[in-house]
Amino acid sequence: TLRLIYTTTAVQRRNVGASGPEKYTEAFIKKQIEEFNLGKRHLANMMGEDPETFTQEDIDKAIAYLFPSGLFDKQARPMMKHPSEIFPEQRKIQWGEDGRPFHFLFYTGKQSYYSLMHETHEKLLNVQKYQDQLTAQDLPSQKEKRNLAGNRWLTKIELEEMLLEKLSDNDYLRFIHLLQKLMTLPCGDMEEKYIQKFTREVPAQLQKVVIEPLKYDERGVAFSTGEGIRKTAKVTATVYDNGTGKITVNGIDILHYFPVLQDREQLLFPFQFLDRVGKHDMICTVSGGGRSAQAGAIRLASARALRSFVTEKEVEFMRQAGLLTVDPRVKERKKPGQEGARRKFTWKKR
Amino acid sequence: RLTQVRWSRYNPSFVEPEVNKELYQKPLEELSEEEKEKLELKAVQPIKAAPPTVSSSVFSDPMISKFTNMMMKDGNKVLARSLMAQTLEAIKRKQLEKYHKAPEDEKEAIECNPYVIFHQALKNCQPIIGLSSITRGGKTYQVPVPLKDNRKRFLAMKWLITECRENKNRRTLMPEKLSQELLQAFNNEGPIIKKKHVLHKMAEANRAYAHFRWW
Repeated sequence: TLRLIYTTTAVQRRNVGASGPEKYTEAFIKKQIEEFNLGKRHLANMMGEDPETFTQEDIDKAIAYLFPSGLFDKQARPMMKHPSEIFPEQRKIQWGEDGRPFHFLFYTGKQSYYSLMHETHEKLLNVQKYQDQLTAQDLPSQKEKRNLAGNRWLTKIELEEMLLEKLSDNDYLRFIHLLQKLMTLPCGDMEEKYIQKFTREVPAQLQKVVIEPLKYDERGVAFSTGEGIRKTAKVTATVYDNGTGKITVNGIDILHYFPVLQDREQLLFPFQFLDRVGKHDMICTVSGGGRSAQAGAIRLASARALRSFVTEKEVEFMRQAGLLTVDPRVKERKKPGQEGARRKFTWKKR
Repeated sequence: RLTQVRWSRYNPSFVEPEVNKELYQKPLEELSEEEKEKLELKAVQPIKAAPPTVSSSVFSDPMISKFTNMMMKDGNKVLARSLMAQTLEAIKRKQLEKYHKAPEDEKEAIECNPYVIFHQALKNCQPIIGLSSITRGGKTYQVPVPLKDNRKRFLAMKWLITECRENKNRRTLMPEKLSQELLQAFNNEGPIIKKKHVLHKMAEANRAYAHFRWW
């Protein structure tokens, strides 16, 4: 007698994660948005606020009040946000019912990246054609100066979010080089708008630092204070006008406090840079750090104090000489499994 | 280039500082267009703090600081700087002695500035071609290769220091020996110049393998 022995094909499809992260349909996301709006109105009702003017900040405060949590990670606490912030943007299905893809570059794998490169290259060719036309008609090429200062290119992560595709480092670099090439040519307004899509403003540097006015002490001499930090050393320095160039640290003259020439050079650096070597007196109090760190901290403190004595242009020159930035370098921590911060243990073959 | 294996405490957007005072004292009209653009850019970029070895005074020189750092052992910068200062003093003394003993017509030819002597000696010691080992088909060949500026300066300084550390008498001090070597290099004689010539001859001898280089 023969027995039918068969195995089910369901055994083959066990791996759950192989198909990638969960795919949300459009209908699902729409439902989530409706639920969110309804829930927002309910919450406003509960808190006694007006449902029409209930902002995201109010929602956050209400949730923190109703569901208090002591968890350290902010992302782990209960949150109620718009579904577009919670569910990551996903691509709709790229092919139709017959299985034929919509985009002509679908089979390259990175369709949006390659279509973007094609577009940018097309723009480049257009600009070159326009330039050739101008030279053929003997018209001068227009050089419009763009303000390069306040803008930076998109980062790789931002570009990935824009294209909804993973990029490699080389791809990203190629795209940025193409954009730079496009920018260096004297191009017209249409290209400006296209390039602006890929630039972001850098507002960080434009923080205006307030320069304090000069103070006058009992004798009528102008003075100003400054503070400096370097690697655990803290310094407060007062710079007096109409002086002979004497510098006192913790009540001791610098010749006795800093026997090393390099430290004294650092103390005099700001004064020498502004050509005011013998004109100011300085008294400072310093604590912490070692000999070189204290010298660097006093240099920073005196540069900050001298800002009040000097014109804005010279303040900018001091900043470009690196006198006004706090040096962020500190001792790197020792890591486990290594002997020091970078040195590894001796490798023994056996 | 985007992965950082050696990172720094500064944000990558920070730019190196420019310490030279004279560049800042030029009036606006004398600047060319490129320099004006650079100025505009610099006004918006954040700048790193100046390192403690660098200062705007006349006495700080980047080559001398590099050489002092290479001479330094176990982080003893104080000792290295004092040795450097003593070397420059020794050079100056020797040159002054020669100056006072020389007859009138030769007096102008003798160079007394130790910084000028140092720079000229380093320049004379720099090799033009170096050798790099390339493995082809199991055998390693020494292929003549043009060197970059940084590499030339590094080799010249390294040869000077190793020469002074190994080939001196038990009793002579480092500044003494260094000043001797520098003066010899300034006059294009001495063991370091010989080493440079030997390297050039080896490169010339291995000229046949020059086509192995692909960069």
